[in-house]
Amino acid sequence: MPPLTGLHRREALRLLGAGIALAAGGCSRPDEEILPYVRQPEQLLPGVPARYATALPLSGWARGIHAIAVDGRPIKIEGNPLHPGSRGATDVFLEAAILDLYDPDRSRAPSERVAGIASWEAFGKAYARPLSEARARGGAGFRLLTGRVTSPTLLRQIAALREAMPDAAWHVHEPLDEANARAGAALAFGRRLRALPLLDRAEVVVCLEADPLGPGPDQIRLSSALMERRRDPARFGRLYAAEGLPTLTGIKADARRAVPPPVTAALLVHLANGFGAGLPAPALPEPERRFAEQILTDLRAHRERAVVLVGEALEPAFHALAHWLNARLAAPVAWIAPPDSPPGHEPGDIADLARDIAAGEVSCLAILGTNPVQTAPAGLGFSELLRRVGFSVQIGTHADETAGATHWHLPLAHDLESWSDLRATDGTASLVQPLVRPLYGGRSVHEILNLLTGAEARRGYDIVRETWQDHPRPAGGDFEGWWRRCLHDGTIPGSAAAPVALPEPALPTLPPAPAPCDLTLTLTPDPALWDGRCANNAWLQECPHPVTKQVWGNALLLSHGEAARRGVRDGQTVSLTVRGSSLIAPVAVVSGVADGVAGLSLGHGRARAGQIGNGIGVDGYRLMQAGAARVIRDVSLTALDGTREILRTQAYTQIEGETDKLFPRIDLAALASAEPKGDGSDQPTLLEPWTGDADGHAWGMVIDTMACIGCNACVIACQSENNVPVVGPEEIARGRMMHWLRVDIYDAGKPERIEAGFQPVPCMHCEHAPCEPVCPVAASVHDGEGLNLQVYNRCVGTRFCEANCPYKVRRFNFFGYADGQEYASLGAEPVRAQRNPNVTVRARGVMEKCTYCVQRIANERQAAERDGRPMGAVATACQSACPTRAIRFGDLNAPGSPVAAQRADPRHYALMAELNTRPRTTYLAELRNPLREDRT
Amino acid sequence: MAQIFRPGADTLARVTLAGIAVVPVLAVGLATTLWRSPYATAQDVTREQPVPFSHEHHVGGLGIDCRYCHTSVEKAAFAGIPPTETCMSCHSQIWTNAPMLAPVRSSLAEGRPLVWRRVHALPDYVYFNHSVHVAKGVGCSTCHGAIQTMKLVRQVAPLTMGWCLDCHRNPAPNLRPREAVFDMTWTPPEDQAEQGARLAAAYHVKSPARLGECSICHR
Repeated sequence: MPPLTGLHRREALRLLGAGIALAAGGCSRPDEEILPYVRQPEQLLPGVPARYATALPLSGWARGIHAIAVDGRPIKIEGNPLHPGSRGATDVFLEAAILDLYDPDRSRAPSERVAGIASWEAFGKAYARPLSEARARGGAGFRLLTGRVTSPTLLRQIAALREAMPDAAWHVHEPLDEANARAGAALAFGRRLRALPLLDRAEVVVCLEADPLGPGPDQIRLSSALMERRRDPARFGRLYAAEGLPTLTGIKADARRAVPPPVTAALLVHLANGFGAGLPAPALPEPERRFAEQILTDLRAHRERAVVLVGEALEPAFHALAHWLNARLAAPVAWIAPPDSPPGHEPGDIADLARDIAAGEVSCLAILGTNPVQTAPAGLGFSELLRRVGFSVQIGTHADETAGATHWHLPLAHDLESWSDLRATDGTASLVQPLVRPLYGGRSVHEILNLLTGAEARRGYDIVRETWQDHPRPAGGDFEGWWRRCLHDGTIPGSAAAPVALPEPALPTLPPAPAPCDLTLTLTPDPALWDGRCANNAWLQECPHPVTKQVWGNALLLSHGEAARRGVRDGQTVSLTVRGSSLIAPVAVVSGVADGVAGLSLGHGRARAGQIGNGIGVDGYRLMQAGAARVIRDVSLTALDGTREILRTQAYTQIEGETDKLFPRIDLAALASAEPKGDGSDQPTLLEPWTGDADGHAWGMVIDTMACIGCNACVIACQSENNVPVVGPEEIARGRMMHWLRVDIYDAGKPERIEAGFQPVPCMHCEHAPCEPVCPVAASVHDGEGLNLQVYNRCVGTRFCEANCPYKVRRFNFFGYADGQEYASLGAEPVRAQRNPNVTVRARGVMEKCTYCVQRIANERQAAERDGRPMGAVATACQSACPTRAIRFGDLNAPGSPVAAQRADPRHYALMAELNTRPRTTYLAELRNPLREDRT
Repeated sequence: MAQIFRPGADTLARVTLAGIAVVPVLAVGLATTLWRSPYATAQDVTREQPVPFSHEHHVGGLGIDCRYCHTSVEKAAFAGIPPTETCMSCHSQIWTNAPMLAPVRSSLAEGRPLVWRRVHALPDYVYFNHSVHVAKGVGCSTCHGAIQTMKLVRQVAPLTMGWCLDCHRNPAPNLRPREAVFDMTWTPPEDQAEQGARLAAAYHVKSPARLGECSICHR
């Protein structure tokens, strides 16, 4: 704001006059316009949400969704219950994809590096020569680089391209590839295979650096299977974790040890030896040996019901050893041929491509939907190599780092704008259908690959349909009917990969134990930005890290012990050096990190992500070595003088004895004797007693903290559904945030042995709401169904309610976060199209909070009233997003209400029951099955 | 000693003192009057439209049902404004060359929507639902008045929150049998108080207390 200067008399009068004129003019209504259709689409009801089944990829793997559109604008994404990859739930990446669709930073036209904005015709002309030259050589020198491809149509197109140009080559670069898992399976079975652990059948799950509950393409499938089984106390089993950094799996584990990767590897060898592997006994510290013995006891007692999972931090030989061990255990793991590598057409990797470019063998390179300049290991020097290619083109939704290094850039359509098909991790195929025409003039991958092969232009729809023309259909079914059924359901029946019967896996030869090293750096996927492709998504940038609660950036995670040993504080900057490349990063001191291990998440610190993501955080890829290993040994760390604020949404505090009260945990052994705790209505209160319902409904929510894996899907779902604005890093630094639902983390353990858990906190909708009596304008009131309402048009912004709310769930619009003072590019016209028209966009100076998705309740109530039927079930946005069904919402008065039944569960409790606020949102306590030596 | 004040100063002082007492009251009165006046509520304001569509002719004269054009009134919150196609379903046969209809013809030919000016505008934080009102026996004419007599549509009701609540707190006088909802000439029977109460019970109209709650219209 410019400094205030004194006004001249005339200027002051002029402003006064203008003010009076505006005030008087403001009384009359502005003119509004109504634009009807010229030809209205059939079945379309104006303003009524319509659902379309489609699929969205993460690292190429499909997750089926229902995209919800209002008047042709996609506004929300929900899971498709018929799809095995989403099971009706979502994760943060799916929820946030809707914001990517409208991102004003998406590229809008083809561009040439020197000339700037160009046209598709100009590209066609420029591309004609390199293409004809490559064709004349049978494709020699022509290279295609893509991300992981599971699309049957794209695989068919690539196969056709290689048929036309036999010497052309295809390479795949997926930054967070499962290279070690793939190599491990090949080592054990001698062929390419993909493991599908069946966690619904495994009772003892041993995760060695593996994070099945963590972010990734399989998070929904695996976490839902695991938690579904754990709901049954008889099959609760035990979840073990040994890992260097706290993952979601580690936090949910019943027994966890924070150890560096070599110790985890040794632990696995010890387990294998327990089943007769006869490998040289590794050096294992005594506590870990005892831990391994406990695991062995459990594994032996649970044949066919136990599984050992190994993560990318361990080398391929250990993956192979785990497969051997799982075979001994007859573990519930299905094996399939990998859906992303068709037999006979296995792609090369980026290291091959780099070698060929260095050898001068590449003259024409097309990079489709991947960003190697940013995400290739820095050790490869890919951006330097790219300059040696005669003709290069990058095709992507954004003009990213790679686009800055290639000759041409072509805009790619978003997955919600184009026809395509994708496969899930189990091979199930889905059709991808567009909800809108490309907003920014991009084309689909299929249309672009068609263009790259020089074929006649065809519509993506025709190309995709052609792929499925000969797919086996039920006898007598016509193609059109089958196609429409597949589009409607979102999956193609019978397309899942058939499990492969396998011989006994071979016992691998293990690499020699590495020499002890000072500090090991583990590079992890970012829980919000994944590999960096989501960096320009403001919802994800402001989505708190599940463990550190950091937003807008990443930090080097160190344990308390390690930080003390090196004399660094939280927020202090350090310099990390690996073989000549170095990086300056702030330190975040976090419980649960193993001593001797440092963690850094990838995907931050991008230079050309867009207005939101540019320069936020530090770029871990700069330290990645040529082999793309995620564990880097012998990192040297130098403490620097500077500090950088770590922006967190939950402050780290130690409260003696309070954790057990706020976040009760029950041991499985004590479950039988547990009693449900009331909601505190026996406590005295000064607040006005709440009187019953006018017409019978009583909305309530029960959150099962045992099932909550802290994935944040609910947080982003709420943001998407309820037009919750992003405030930006400056406002976060001032302690302001707008999320209506937050996920708190509590840790009752010690820094070196955490006993943590997650607690999602939406508005409690207290029957004795402390926010209500303090509002001077009655903007905070109750309705007859038990909702605590916030009436925006009454609110004058005193913030008394926020001060009086014991749960701290009220959020204040200090600025017009959603209404004129949006962060960065979020005020752009296209972004507004994402907003849910059924929810008010709150103005500056107004308090807001969770409404229990009152618009969804109202829609269902109105539909029921209109049709003269009783109200059906209502699902809040957070509930429908939750992969583990931890959140249940419903009518407490309905007969047979599952929410009411949960309120009688022995694990039931109300948060801060002693206040007698009679919250409608209540909880089920965390349930654990700890080892005897861990019991507290 | 010379006089400081002229004789008129007394009067001035009295007027000023009276003004201090009266002006704020008047200002508040003026503001509320202005706020509820047609100037602010746009009540009885007739708006020019790109095509002077006459409800008097189409509804009063030809007797076309409301739902022929406002197709979603029974199914959705928004009653619906007909697409150009609906107009042209008749006007491709009759009055095909009327200059008055030139914008409609060019809309269809060019694929550009007609731009109507909204007559009944509610604030954005109000979520009014046509389908529920129609299902509960609130007739079109209850809020929209005698549309069949209007050459150009005007808003007959003030559409203020107070006006909405008058009915929400006591719906019986405004309820009619469902089959009469689209009857523009319906008049309440002698025993409307009784009939209304009977209909409110038959159609499960919620209690006045419930209908007066904020969450019924605001979210």
